[in-house]
Amino acid sequence: MTRVALRGIRSHLGRFLLSILAVLLGVGFVAGTFSLRAMMSATFDDIVNSGTNADTYVQGAKIEATGGDAMGGFAGAEQFPIAMADVIAEADGVAGVVPDVSGSIVLVGADGTAVMSSGPPSFGMGLDPGEIAIWMADGREPSGPGEIAIETAALERSGLAVGDTTTVVLAGEIREVEVVGEVGFAAPMAGAIMVGLDMETATAAYAPDGMVDLVGVYAEDGVSQTELATSVKATLAGVPGMDVEVLTGDQMRDDSREQWQSMLGFISTFLLVFAGIALFVGTFIISNTFAMVVRQRQREFAMLRAVGASPSQVFASVLGQAAVIGVVGSLLGIGAGVGLVAGLQQMFAGMGMELSGRIPLDGFTIAISVITGTLVSLVAAVVPARKAALTAPVEAMRDDVVTHDRASRWRTAAGAVLLVGGLAAVAAAATGVIADNRPTLLGVGAGAIVISVLMLALTIAPAVLGVLAAPAVRGMRPLGGLAKGNVTRHPKRTASTAGALMIGMALVGAASVIAASAQASVRDVVDNESQADLLLQSATWDVPVELVSEVAALYGLQRVDSFRVAPGTAVDGEVAPVVGAPVGFFDQTLTVPVVDGATAAMADGQAVVRELAAEPKGWEVGDTLTVAGSRGTVDVTIGAVIDSRAIGASVILPDQVLDTVADPTSTMTDTVFLLAEPGADIAQIRDQVTELAAPYVVVSVMDGEEFGDAIAQQVNQMLVILYALLGLSIVIAVLGIVNTLALSISERTREIGLLRAVGLGRLQLAGVVTIESVLTAVFGTVLGIGVGAGLAATMSTVFRDEGFTSLVIPWGPLGALLGLAVVVGALAAVWPAVRAARMDVLEAIAYE
Amino acid sequence: MRPVTMYPRGEGAIASARGLVKVYGSGETAVRALDGVDVDFARGELTAIMGPSGSGKSTLMHCMAGLDTLSGGTVVIDGEDVGRMNQRGLTKLRHDRLGFVFQAYNLIPTLTAEENITLPLDIARRSVDRAWFDLVVDAVGLGDRLDHRPSELSGGQQQRVACARALVSRPAVVFADEPTGNLDSRSSGEVLEFLRHSVDELGQAIVMVTHDPSAGSYAHRVVFLDDGRLVGEILEPTAESVLDALRELGVGRRDRADLVGAAAGEFTVGGLR
Repeated sequence: MTRVALRGIRSHLGRFLLSILAVLLGVGFVAGTFSLRAMMSATFDDIVNSGTNADTYVQGAKIEATGGDAMGGFAGAEQFPIAMADVIAEADGVAGVVPDVSGSIVLVGADGTAVMSSGPPSFGMGLDPGEIAIWMADGREPSGPGEIAIETAALERSGLAVGDTTTVVLAGEIREVEVVGEVGFAAPMAGAIMVGLDMETATAAYAPDGMVDLVGVYAEDGVSQTELATSVKATLAGVPGMDVEVLTGDQMRDDSREQWQSMLGFISTFLLVFAGIALFVGTFIISNTFAMVVRQRQREFAMLRAVGASPSQVFASVLGQAAVIGVVGSLLGIGAGVGLVAGLQQMFAGMGMELSGRIPLDGFTIAISVITGTLVSLVAAVVPARKAALTAPVEAMRDDVVTHDRASRWRTAAGAVLLVGGLAAVAAAATGVIADNRPTLLGVGAGAIVISVLMLALTIAPAVLGVLAAPAVRGMRPLGGLAKGNVTRHPKRTASTAGALMIGMALVGAASVIAASAQASVRDVVDNESQADLLLQSATWDVPVELVSEVAALYGLQRVDSFRVAPGTAVDGEVAPVVGAPVGFFDQTLTVPVVDGATAAMADGQAVVRELAAEPKGWEVGDTLTVAGSRGTVDVTIGAVIDSRAIGASVILPDQVLDTVADPTSTMTDTVFLLAEPGADIAQIRDQVTELAAPYVVVSVMDGEEFGDAIAQQVNQMLVILYALLGLSIVIAVLGIVNTLALSISERTREIGLLRAVGLGRLQLAGVVTIESVLTAVFGTVLGIGVGAGLAATMSTVFRDEGFTSLVIPWGPLGALLGLAVVVGALAAVWPAVRAARMDVLEAIAYE
Repeated sequence: MRPVTMYPRGEGAIASARGLVKVYGSGETAVRALDGVDVDFARGELTAIMGPSGSGKSTLMHCMAGLDTLSGGTVVIDGEDVGRMNQRGLTKLRHDRLGFVFQAYNLIPTLTAEENITLPLDIARRSVDRAWFDLVVDAVGLGDRLDHRPSELSGGQQQRVACARALVSRPAVVFADEPTGNLDSRSSGEVLEFLRHSVDELGQAIVMVTHDPSAGSYAHRVVFLDDGRLVGEILEPTAESVLDALRELGVGRRDRADLVGAAAGEFTVGGLR
């Protein structure tokens, strides 16, 4: 039986080619994700090992908080005086002490624009001669506020050379500086821009009040990390009121690595979701292929059964073929994954993000890829294999094999029940009948609806296809009718081919509805809440403070309100973003519905909290919150509960309170809201502000509408990434159409011969195949858009509180998606159509 | 059996072949399936091509119908030189001048009987001549089954639908390849009656390949092929006269078979069935 199975694959390799390709693509994505993660992880390890190379670290007490993650940020640590470095230097075994004085910087390149990466940060740091991972590759070390040195890769990207003068924005100020040196660093920087400053300048910019987060300590020869840490700890114990942590270099590196890993874990989980979708779609192809092959080989199975093969032997022989396809596809997929990562590496390098050179491929990646690919293939083949096993021996004697390809009652009923249940769950979530866990309810309902539609696709296929085909049947006689007959002849086949496309299209449809609604919601917020005439934002997420004070000095402005975000804060022992705003920000610049209390309480140092955060935590006006940050911990009273959609943070503190919690140099000025005096000439103010902002290079000046546009732009960028990732599953679904067409054409060889014999031209035949393909693609797309857009439409009611206020169905893009389906269908038909047209008429007639 | 009648070109012959040669393969393995066949098929006649298995009956029909390429000689159908046509010309020839009936798989399963019948006209984008359609449908006796799918029709009914389809476009000639090969004797009789009827009443020219002597007896004329050559014909045949002629051929063949060791028994079985 094994021989029968293997020969079966070998002699009909063509039939399985697209199945292998489907496994290959899905597994390629899986292997690529793991190997990308390993590569990024190696890159960050190198950075951590090179950048965090001291033998012992002293850092401020960690802020005790739970719930930190890669998305919400991690809890930071409290700062301590830089003067402690001198105390530490006294400890036994210390060879050198290097305080970490670094922070954000904007470097202007030779072309007058900021040197930036889209993800990695730009940072300036004080260069200390004791730092061994850093050396001067060219020129000399900077000395004094007018000199900088730039890391090799960053220097190359900036287009500057040693000896040039340029501009930096440091500590919120513009400074003219000379590039005096090129800094060498022991690891590739992965796109981060590093600018070296002299220690004094860096301290003035990043630790103006003499407080630092971290001090690195280097050991004398022969002193181990642990010995050094113990000695430093002992020395610091003698300093009263000094609450610091002493970590060995290894512990520190492990901590840093852990944070990177958690971020990488998030990215790879995100990518694996798409790999999973792609593999799921791939199962449709494999399952369809096996269903068709089993159908064609029905007599062979009957014969095998007649000569004594048991049903389980037949079952195993079909599954064996699936396993071979899974393993072959997986192995090829691993190769494809490595190729993909190598390509990404080149692409990143081209974008200035140098990554570690190795493309790691460990046993784990290989094992997980092969297991995934094989399992997917086996699962997809189970139903066809069962059908093959159940072939009655008597079928071998029958003249023509009749198969009933109709939706089983069980399937239809189960699908209908699931659909009703799913609709009920979604309706309950949307109307809020069941108030708890509405998002979960929506998710479960959505899942049920998607699965039920996949199940019911078979039942509704003939009717829906009939409607879709009507124009072709009427307009293109007899081609349309023939094509319609072909797609409705095996509804199961058409339904599952279209189902694969449906999944991708549903996600794309949902994403476009969500994106359009999110954009509209942002505009709503801008229209309803923000009273600002102009807004300032920076590409570095931090509007320079110097610019803010320059703007504040302009005439005609009633208010200049900075909205500042403090990193690494915790509220009541839980990691939570805390923001600062000036007193009077609410009601004047930002009008928000006040649920309870009064926002004027900010003047008394009280906090304002968002209802969305307050409700689940039980916060009420008058309660006390404990807010911890790098500067310490303060207790603040809740003065008001607001229902704002413009602000994402849960706790808003008055500026003066925030400054006692967080180091002002580390807070980021996210947005500056400008409110003009009544009757002021806004155009003129805008010109003035634009002129002031220009030298800072990274700051954009926007009115409310442009602000909405800018956010819409960000949403669109995310959409592009999402579409690219979903593109893979759509490509696989299209391969599925090609697969089904090609296989059913070979099945219909005789019929095609007959059509040709009665005078059907080659172009006409190709036309029939194309119409079939387009019908299948449009069927899948219509179902997908219907399900995806329909479900997404309910989100605006479920997520209203999260700022999802408007529902917009983007008819244009959805229509374009349908148009895309037609194009994709036509493309998928090219190869099968050419094959059909090239068929020799006589051979087709004589085909047995 | 008597020598084959030849027609002067263009007089009475709707399809004719001259010096027709068809060689499969090349070199030592080359097989001459047709070895210089000259034959004319008359207008308004039902001609049967008969002969032992492997004699080249089907090849002759395929070559004459433009389904297969020629190795040598000429084929003229209704005044057109088939051998010189390109694919486009052949496609046009098929839907304008020719009708086909095959042994099996004659119908598109997704189309109704009526749609199957009008298929050649639809393909050629010609309108259906209702009067002619009714006449043909009436003749095949399927008026009440026109909206049935092929799977809902018996084998004989399916084959009659195929015949109606071959006739509906008023082709110059209909080629039928073993049209009764898959049918029982009663259904065969119905189909053959209809073919003969369409020649006698509707003036159609039909060329039919068959190995069944009783099918041959429905023809006006039977031509016999053996080893790729035309060996004779019978006018107004009966089942007996056809059987005798085939036996004669079979004997001749058996004599040769002793030399080449070919299996002639297969033919004997076929001939006596």
